[in-house]
Amino acid sequence: MSDIKERSPNELVLFGIIGGLLGIYLTYILPALGMQISGNVGELLNVIAPTFGALGGICAVMWGADAVRRVAKYGLGTGVPSIGQIAMGMGIIAAMFGLAIVQTKILAGPIVALVTASIIGFIIGWFAQNVIKMKIPVMIRCMTEIAASGTIIIIGFSAAVAGNFEFANIVKLVFDNGVMLAVFWVGAVAMLHPFNACLGPDERQKRLLYLAGSTGAITMAIMGIAATMTLGASGVITLVLGIVLWVIFYKKFWDEVYHDAASVVGTGLIPKTEA
Amino acid sequence: MVLDLTMSMAVLALLGALATIAGCLEDLESDVGSQSNPNSQVQLAPQMGFLHRIFNKAISGEPISNGMSAVIGGTVTTVLLSQKFYPLTAIVIGAFIGAIILGIFATTSYAGRVASQTRFKQPLYMDIMRYTTPTIIGHNFIMNFCLVAIAYIQFEVLGYPFTIPFLALIWGISVGAIGSSVGDVHYGGEREFQNREFGCGLNTALSGRIVRKAESGLRNSIDNVWFCAKFGGPATGIALGLTVFFSSWPTTLFGYTWTAIGIGVLIVAVLTIMNRLIELNVRHAYGPYKEEKNEKEAKA
Repeated sequence: MSDIKERSPNELVLFGIIGGLLGIYLTYILPALGMQISGNVGELLNVIAPTFGALGGICAVMWGADAVRRVAKYGLGTGVPSIGQIAMGMGIIAAMFGLAIVQTKILAGPIVALVTASIIGFIIGWFAQNVIKMKIPVMIRCMTEIAASGTIIIIGFSAAVAGNFEFANIVKLVFDNGVMLAVFWVGAVAMLHPFNACLGPDERQKRLLYLAGSTGAITMAIMGIAATMTLGASGVITLVLGIVLWVIFYKKFWDEVYHDAASVVGTGLIPKTEA
Repeated sequence: MVLDLTMSMAVLALLGALATIAGCLEDLESDVGSQSNPNSQVQLAPQMGFLHRIFNKAISGEPISNGMSAVIGGTVTTVLLSQKFYPLTAIVIGAFIGAIILGIFATTSYAGRVASQTRFKQPLYMDIMRYTTPTIIGHNFIMNFCLVAIAYIQFEVLGYPFTIPFLALIWGISVGAIGSSVGDVHYGGEREFQNREFGCGLNTALSGRIVRKAESGLRNSIDNVWFCAKFGGPATGIALGLTVFFSSWPTTLFGYTWTAIGIGVLIVAVLTIMNRLIELNVRHAYGPYKEEKNEKEAKA
């Protein structure tokens, strides 16, 4: 397997953090820009801004799915779903703490959340490694990455529904109507599903990343539906773009499946084996 | 909304009925895809040289996958209700979208898992994909419909302080957990290893040696759900329905009083005694397992 060229963990960390934070910050910067530009362009910027939060979320899903893959390769079969859940658990605590503690310095929120999540992830990884003694060499690094990507997923998709990442706004538009549970649960499945679905000795990173893109896009589409309730037109853009992205990634995933599978047949008997 | 006793009993009966259907369909849906407990043997079989035509729906455990489809259903329903849709329409559309998304996840997990078993030469059967996925979606749709309907009744009629997505998620997790603990037991050992004696347990030598041939032709996941629909599914449904009924019945009848708590404790005590009696009865009827001759050969 090692002869196949893979994206290195560092590349994906950069992709997740830069892509994720860029998307999240654009939800805040674009409307501010839109205020200064009058006319249709300014309005358009206002409407499309929340969609970037979801795009940032997809970057974080792909990063998180790869982090899950690296740690779960050490034989965590049934542990994969648990890792997705713990990621979101750490992520949501850090996200809410980070966004709430900064009060008026709103722009610092996502960064504080990311740092908090990394610290929580590091501590949990350290405990798993040194107290429970799970003896997985990449445990500490991967738990840190998983928590950090979890917090970006939460903030990104919440921003897509709430319009931006102001804490009061998120409480009003994402918590009070219960959409946060969809962010939490579907986000967790989006992150854990790629490795869980590709588990096996011939698992390949490329296929997994395409699948991560597709699960992230599904989450984006659902956030789009929820955003039609809270934001109106922006939600429709998020929904349509989510479906388009899903079709692209899903198709790419299937191309990889056709390429990787031993054989893809319409129907037929079981091939003869030694057993 | 304050209801009189007759009306609250009627609502309780409706909740119980919906929960029974949801529980039954949830278990059958997980069996169509051999999710959860039976999944490990389906996954293991190709490695042992036993290629098969059984769907491999590895979307995490049942609580998580059903929680996901239910919370999507609840969220979409909330959105539609806010646009003044008629409640029944909103619930149906919400449940349908949740089921479709679960179906999409199911296709990726079957394709992904098979593609990751290339070295064992397991083929990806597209006909299995084509007729098993709609079955999964169908079962999941009914389950979603029942759960979101329960959430809607609790939110709108009974005035629970939680939102519809929240209640739907909790119900999804509960039905998944009950389906996993009650229904799975029926499919794993009995169907995949039905050429062994009942209750023989699974020793390591038998791992992955699942039954792959049906009465006529090759066995597939639809044969498995047919088997589970006889007992596993209904048992799960009754388990969830009774859980809902017994946990709400005392408070509906006596209000939030000590009498209700006392009756609740009494119900738990009676059920514990009944469980113990059944266990003793089964032990007496079947006794400890005796190893058969052909299994000794298989070990050697």
